[in-house]
Amino acid sequence: MKQILLITDGCSNVGASPVLAAAHALQDGIVVNVVGVLDYGTIGELGGLEIKEIAKAGGGIHRIVGTPQLAQTMQMMTRKTVVQTIQQAVNKEIQHILGSGSLEELPPDKRSQVVEVVDELAETSSLQVALLIDASASMKPKLAAVEEAIRDLMLSLKARLGSSKLSVFHFPGKHSGEDVVMDVDWTSDLDGARGMFSRLQMKGATPTGPALLKVIEFYRYGTLEGNQSWQGDSSQEEGMLGDYVV
Amino acid sequence: MTTLSNPGYPPGTVITGKWRNSRYIVERMLGKGANGKVYLVHRAGVRGRYALKVGHDALDLQSEINVLNALKEQMPDPYLVEADDHHDGSHEVSFYVMRYIEGSPLHRFIRKRGTEWVSLIGLKLLEKLSVLHASGYAFGDLKPDNVMVSAYGRVELIDYGGVSSFGRSVKQFTEWYDRGYWNAGSRTGDVSYDLFSFAVMCIGLLDEKSLREASCQLPQTRSVADLQLILRRNPVFKPYAVWLNKALCGNFADSREALNEWKKRMYEGTVKSARPIPGRTPRWLRNAFALSLVIMACAVYFFFRS
Ligand SMILES: Nc1ncnc2c1ncn2[C@@H]1O[C@H](COP(=O)(O)OP(=O)(O)OP(=O)(O)O)[C@@H](O)[C@H]1O
Ligand SMILES: [Mg+2]
Repeated sequence: MKQILLITDGCSNVGASPVLAAAHALQDGIVVNVVGVLDYGTIGELGGLEIKEIAKAGGGIHRIVGTPQLAQTMQMMTRKTVVQTIQQAVNKEIQHILGSGSLEELPPDKRSQVVEVVDELAETSSLQVALLIDASASMKPKLAAVEEAIRDLMLSLKARLGSSKLSVFHFPGKHSGEDVVMDVDWTSDLDGARGMFSRLQMKGATPTGPALLKVIEFYRYGTLEGNQSWQGDSSQEEGMLGDYVV
Repeated sequence: MTTLSNPGYPPGTVITGKWRNSRYIVERMLGKGANGKVYLVHRAGVRGRYALKVGHDALDLQSEINVLNALKEQMPDPYLVEADDHHDGSHEVSFYVMRYIEGSPLHRFIRKRGTEWVSLIGLKLLEKLSVLHASGYAFGDLKPDNVMVSAYGRVELIDYGGVSSFGRSVKQFTEWYDRGYWNAGSRTGDVSYDLFSFAVMCIGLLDEKSLREASCQLPQTRSVADLQLILRRNPVFKPYAVWLNKALCGNFADSREALNEWKKRMYEGTVKSARPIPGRTPRWLRNAFALSLVIMACAVYFFFRS
């Protein structure tokens, strides 16, 4: 399972549409979740709308929270999305077997069995989450909290039975034209990485769309440079379900 | 979303099971949380009250029901009564019915009745936990809100939404009581995870202010040492400190051992002087008996004199 978790506090202002980028991600089997972090004031009508639209297009969920709730929210969204992704696949299987119907329509004993499978897969299937952090100037005072929340997320993911990997990106980069910078490559342990965002230079531009597209490429090719060597594919999941739902 | 602003069912609402046809009548709402709303209900035409939880999400609720079903075989008096769906006019909702637990949440009980209840209630809670652990499950979200205490110190766990099998990730947790929050270990469900939460809960019950202060510092410096410092600083922890320290460090092999050591420590100090020796008549009874003998002797004496 693949997810992108975008952490931002406002509107994009450069480059490709982030909503379209999120739709591309979903097409590639990557669910996009969005957290708006806000300590004072409001995120603005436009910002709020964009956050919602990105999540909608990316098949994910969105939340707007203050830094104290950030860690808890990120871990809840990730977990919920894992379950939802599996549930969607399972619902497809249910329809395949029963002709129609979803979880809610199943009689209690069948539903209980299906949910057991969903819970099992949610715990054991492998998971990748790419965190994409808006590092525009207004985010600066929140980055310490963001880093702690990422650490906390890693702790939760580590407890799963299945393999779980995180990667961390921020945008924009130092040079103009550099849309995104990788801070941490795929890892299942963040113990080594202290001060993830310590060398940042804050800038005003917020190229959310281009940054999302880069991360999709990273998922595809394993690098930001746009290369070959595909990383896994989505058929894996269905094969797994096939074993369970008979 | 409808579920968030929804005020819930008013008293008198009839909840009818779609699959099993039981009818429950709502008396009032008992509480609500992230996963659903809980009502006090009675069965139509029958005495006896139950608690009925209506879930926001069928899948989340079913996974809670699955745990309760698995525990049903292990528990002496089962908690889960039945599970079903109900059509409430606008949509289909899932619900389950459980035993109604009368009482107040642990922190309120202690605030009202005094901290001297902590040793007894702790003991009863450890008994409950060790039954759960013996079945291979960790409770997960152990906190005062999820521990109900009746008027005479009977203890029950509520909200099994955070329960997970040993070795699996903990599904729900709450900052203060979470081992990960204190940089003290993983979020994997195991015996020590629950015992850690139990220990933090005791610290909070006996000295909430210090716990609050300890939790305020920077996340990366937070550690078990801060909790241990609280134990050392406040004399109120004297009878508990060694046990709590062991739980914080994850040094109990299992919850039986933890339970036995709790018994030993708590009952050594406070109850030793007054402890009745099993099989022997308590002193107050002996004294009372002696007194009544004296009275009887006097009565007999006066009877024969007159
Ligand atoms: N069996 C019961 N008997 C009496 N009261 C109950 C019972 N079960 C739940 N309650 C009350 O309902 C409240 C909410 O229940 P519960 O904790 O199960 O919901 P939840 O949605 O899982 O909440 P949370 O968000 O805390 O996880 C409880 O705090 C308690 O006051
Ligand atoms: Mg709950």
